[in-house]
Amino acid sequence: MQETRDIAGKSAEIPSSGISEWLSAKRNLLWGQMPLVALIVLCLIASLLSDKFLSPININNVLMQGAVLTVIAIGMTFVIIGGGFDLSVGSVVAVSGIAASWVMLETNVVLGVSAGIAVGAFVGLVNGFIVTKLDVNPFIATLGTMVLVRGLAFVVTEGQPVMGDEGLPDIFTDFAIERFLNVPFLVWLPILVLIVFSWLLHYTAYGVRVFATGGNAEAAYLAGVSVKRIKTSTYVWCGTLAGVGGVMLASRLQSGQPTAGGFYELTTIAAVVLGGASLYGGEGKLYKSVIGVFIMIVLANALNLANVPSHWQQVAIGVVIVAAAAADRWRRR
Amino acid sequence: MAPNEELLTVRNMSKRFYGTQALDDVSISFHAGKVHALIGENGAGKSTLIKILGGVHKPDSGVAEIAGQVLEFAGPSDALAAGIVVIPQEMRVVMAQTVAENVLLGKLPSKKVFGLVPAIDRRRMRELTGELLGSFDLDVDPEVTLDRLSFAERQLIMIARALNHDARLLILDEPTAALETREVERLFDFINRLKSHDVAIVFISHRLDEVEKIADECTILRDGRVVEHSAEGVPDRAEMTQLMTGRDIEELHHSEFREKSEPLLEIDHRGNGSDQTENVTVRSGEILGLAGLLGGGMTEFLDHLFGAGDEVTRMKIKGKDVALKSPQDAIKSGIGLVPSERSQGLIFGLTVRENIVLPNIDKFSKNGTLSRKAIDDFVVGLIDALDIRPNDPHKEVRELSGGNQQKVIFARWLAGHADLLLLDEPTHGIDVGAKALVHKLMNDFADDGNGIVFASSEMTEVLSISDTVMAMRAGEFVGRYSRDGEYNERALRDALGG
Repeated sequence: MQETRDIAGKSAEIPSSGISEWLSAKRNLLWGQMPLVALIVLCLIASLLSDKFLSPININNVLMQGAVLTVIAIGMTFVIIGGGFDLSVGSVVAVSGIAASWVMLETNVVLGVSAGIAVGAFVGLVNGFIVTKLDVNPFIATLGTMVLVRGLAFVVTEGQPVMGDEGLPDIFTDFAIERFLNVPFLVWLPILVLIVFSWLLHYTAYGVRVFATGGNAEAAYLAGVSVKRIKTSTYVWCGTLAGVGGVMLASRLQSGQPTAGGFYELTTIAAVVLGGASLYGGEGKLYKSVIGVFIMIVLANALNLANVPSHWQQVAIGVVIVAAAAADRWRRR
Repeated sequence: MAPNEELLTVRNMSKRFYGTQALDDVSISFHAGKVHALIGENGAGKSTLIKILGGVHKPDSGVAEIAGQVLEFAGPSDALAAGIVVIPQEMRVVMAQTVAENVLLGKLPSKKVFGLVPAIDRRRMRELTGELLGSFDLDVDPEVTLDRLSFAERQLIMIARALNHDARLLILDEPTAALETREVERLFDFINRLKSHDVAIVFISHRLDEVEKIADECTILRDGRVVEHSAEGVPDRAEMTQLMTGRDIEELHHSEFREKSEPLLEIDHRGNGSDQTENVTVRSGEILGLAGLLGGGMTEFLDHLFGAGDEVTRMKIKGKDVALKSPQDAIKSGIGLVPSERSQGLIFGLTVRENIVLPNIDKFSKNGTLSRKAIDDFVVGLIDALDIRPNDPHKEVRELSGGNQQKVIFARWLAGHADLLLLDEPTHGIDVGAKALVHKLMNDFADDGNGIVFASSEMTEVLSISDTVMAMRAGEFVGRYSRDGEYNERALRDALGG
């Protein structure tokens, strides 16, 4: 094994001509931007299929749908790049929306929003604890918390939406309606989150440690990275952002609902994979996950506009996810 | 097949990998009922040859034939079908399954329940396994799972399995590397019994005393060529070493003495389950070599020094007591580790520069933001100094060759100004040129007044670059040799083999 690996490794040293190197570099660049190309092509097709696609109402609709998922997908990208996985985000969306609504009805909006986000962060911390301290496989650990948290959401609400007798405070529900520069506040928020977390993941020492942990936990540990702490932190970010997403959704739905966020975990994981992050960890770009989110949403939107029945939409989306993942494996070969 | 008859013949076999001639016109015959020792240094071509025989690689030219019939293997399964079984150093066994299940894997006896439903015949399995193991005097319960057995027992069971599958040529790749003396004797008994089954056995080992003991014939490889074949027994040890390395051992020794001063590291090491402690001291300017066999506990000792063991490490660094709970603590105390596998040292998906600065990355942060330019400026100097190719800090480490990857790990600790380096088999699996450079780096590092603890299972290497050598067996120190006293391979081998 040793011999061949070493000998095979030498092939990298064989000088290649400048042109072919340039071409292969460009090829990688093009492949790297595949998600963006796919999104643009998708938008073009959608606008040809239906003149409604580019209408202000529809664009607003797409952006509103994407806003919540974008925030959650950013957290999911942290976990996946750190070598983990989080199935509990959909349930966190529900429970944090409920917590936010309930607390703001009892006290005020600021405390309510904080409570919603804090609940998300707490679930993230629990996930991180189970995965790093109890050493449970992340898939199983978060499958457990997903079911557990969803159950709690139904228990505390008895299955009813939380909105009080007179509804949630106007200032909270207006957040999803009022606009700045003709763009809803609800859409500004993910842009802000993307900027802050892109900085954190791609421009700080902490970010390099997240990539190192996900890329090779053992090597990272031997290079002095506190692997467990880094992993836990990614789950906390993911839970926190799912909490933010839950509060945003509660603002849109004007209530906290135990059924909110259903299938969000699957949608965001698919989006992150469509954006090119590796499920093995250590690879990915935050903005590409956002592109992945919009591929999912524009696809569903286009199928809607083309009057494809909703169950066939699911089939189509499933096909796209599998095809994208397969194409990605093929590229890496 | 009658005993001592030619079983498998390799004729004029050559194999080239990119720039390296791994096998060069090699011809060998293996005989039924005989143990044929194949010896040579790392990279001599032993593994290439057994991989071709095992169906993993195809030769560029030349053939292997059994009874005049040329063997054509599309893959390892064809080799198995032809009766060629390789028992690798690291065995692929299913730990959670029982002895019987492993031995009969692929040949499970079945029965029909109610004369209808096919099912595995457990009772028959027990009987068959019992018979097979019994025929080799192996007293193991067929019902226990493999994880309950020792490495040596698992190995014997895998060999028994091979025979159950009608093996004609059995290749043992360093079968004794992880065994203790008693277990080696048991294995040899076993091999002697196999001979009466008319199996041809290829025995690969670095331990020449064992080769002397077990081999009926012997072939020595060097740089892909057969340099010696002995049909009756083996040449004497000095001659074997000379033939393997192509030079006298004495030439490899460095005789230069460095100024050794302050103790950098002092630790009282307690072996597994023993009450005695052994004091280990490394002075600045000293290279301490740890010699031992694979699995001799050197890796665990180095991990312990690096705070990566199971227990908190208590020792003295530059005279001060420290307690290391994690590698992070060790790095803060100025210690660096180069692990035995590059996959433990490097994050392949990260760039060269990120891998180099990872332990000290906070130094390149300004107001929380990383300064990529500061990192580049810093790293470029190291890349030049170590001649890392390609000299591009933005390349992902996975694109580099093994030798250059090893240099990246070195660069990491030079960048961190470590003053004590722990090296675990630092030249394992890298080519000759890179190996020489690693040795030079080690010398320079020690010359600058730093310390090195360096583990290797290649004794000539340990002896050639260390100032002091400590022999390790089963996690305990069994000998200490310094250049002003007895310092030779014979003494070391005696300590390790005894």
